[in-house]
Amino acid sequence: MAKIEALNVRKTFRIRSNGKNRNAAENCDFVALDGLSLNINKGEFFVILGPSGCGKSTFLDMLAGLTKPDEGEITIDGKPISGPGLDRGVVFQQYALFAWRTALGNVSFGLEAKKIEKKARADLAKKYLSLVGLSGFEDRYPFELSGGMKQRVAIARALAIEPEVLLMDEPFAALDAQTREILQTDLLRVRDQTQKTVVFVTHSIEEAVFLADRVAVMTARPGVVKKIVNVPISREARYSDDVKVTPEFTKTRHELMALLKEEVVKSQEICSKCTIEDCGLGSGRITAVPLPVPVSLGSK
Amino acid sequence: MEASNTTNVNKPASFDVLGLLKTIIHKSAAIIIFLIIWQLAPTIGLVNAIFIPPPSVVFVEMWNLTLSGELPMQTFASLSRVVFGFGLALFVALPLGFMLGGWFKNFETAVDPLLQVLGQANPFTLFPVFMALLGIGEISKIGIIYWVCQWPVLFNTVTGIRNVDPILIKVARTAGLSKLQLFWKVLLPASMPTVFTGIRMGAAFSFFMLIGAEMIGASSGLGFMILQAEGTFQISKMYAGIVTVALLGIVVNVIMIQIERRVTRWKEEISL
Repeated sequence: MAKIEALNVRKTFRIRSNGKNRNAAENCDFVALDGLSLNINKGEFFVILGPSGCGKSTFLDMLAGLTKPDEGEITIDGKPISGPGLDRGVVFQQYALFAWRTALGNVSFGLEAKKIEKKARADLAKKYLSLVGLSGFEDRYPFELSGGMKQRVAIARALAIEPEVLLMDEPFAALDAQTREILQTDLLRVRDQTQKTVVFVTHSIEEAVFLADRVAVMTARPGVVKKIVNVPISREARYSDDVKVTPEFTKTRHELMALLKEEVVKSQEICSKCTIEDCGLGSGRITAVPLPVPVSLGSK
Repeated sequence: MEASNTTNVNKPASFDVLGLLKTIIHKSAAIIIFLIIWQLAPTIGLVNAIFIPPPSVVFVEMWNLTLSGELPMQTFASLSRVVFGFGLALFVALPLGFMLGGWFKNFETAVDPLLQVLGQANPFTLFPVFMALLGIGEISKIGIIYWVCQWPVLFNTVTGIRNVDPILIKVARTAGLSKLQLFWKVLLPASMPTVFTGIRMGAAFSFFMLIGAEMIGASSGLGFMILQAEGTFQISKMYAGIVTVALLGIVVNVIMIQIERRVTRWKEEISL
């Protein structure tokens, strides 16, 4: 049975007019996902690849339990997702570290919610910091760490709660190319050591081929799965320096590129023509999609 | 690899007497020159020594006033007003700010314009109101100090809570934190730097207001002492009061900065 199943998931956001475009309707609905279905197997490294604004991050938020689908259902081990849970660890694109906590304190964060006693917390946190290659950096504050190291801490934090599923939302997008490559390899190693199911969102084709067992290519808005592509490269072969020039790698990359190209073109058209203007955003970019993250303590 | 560029960050500076001496001279040069000019100008007759006595006279006067007990007594009277007024402001404005910024955002949006107007009202113009309502005793002085320093504390607390990075709240939610845990573990520490700016401003305002309140109507305190000394032509005593007030302000500011450093030692120090 599949570890994660999504069936006809639909999500619409209501975008409020910002008042710049007076002719625009007061509010307008923005369809982020329109009937997305997919299955993710246990222990699989599953990458979701898509153009900006295709709703891939929204889907990841749903898996994390931060947002609920309007229609359709997502289940983990056959049980519908009812909210955030410690069976899933999340890594975000922004490092999202707590600046007032040391590396060790950051990794311990989720463990505190799990009500693990202090000593055991520190031991676990140290173990996972060393797993991501940060032994000796326990007492550093985030401002004393480089971008790559910050993201390592975030990965250790997500792993420390010992989740079954690791959710990663473009975790390496903010890093420089060299650091990104190192972290990708390290992530594969960590995955092999921990045997987690990983759901990884990215817009980088190269990254998708390098990391994934299977890649789901998303369409531009509204997002659905366009095609699921198997990556015919064994796990061991990926540690080789030459993996990126093998015929399998190149072939898969070309296939994904062809699939994605159409969607990127489409998403550009959507941006420049109708929807965004209708919504009164008028910026021509979809980066302003407001994700429903209530900051308020009072809501719900 | 990546580690190498940050390994030297926390290395404590080795003890360097000459360097320390240099720093002290560098930092106090302006003050020393100011004191020398102040000392020389009345002595050589550049200004009238009756109206501007040299610092040597002022410091002797401060010493005598300390020995006679008057200066400690007046300082104590002033400080206790500040402690009560400022303490009350913290006691009220901090929880209120956290509530308005975190829990009752819609309510905050509604009352914010009113709060801004109240905060902007010049407190000196409100003296008569406070006196009418609270009399001319201690309560009205503590009341006006409280009134003045609650605003920066309140506004900065609201801003601090509101500007907490949503991604951090997302992380906290994925970890399944309760509302109360979210407040203690994320909102409170994340807003601390902004909140502390408010507290420090409040502390400065409280001294500002204290002296004003004591000059307008009081029978004790440093403000009263300065005004009375001026009225009875005890000019050096007046300066003794002025210097004491300045020193108190510096001491309070240094204490606040030290506390702030402790609470927010995780922040990167930015030097321009």
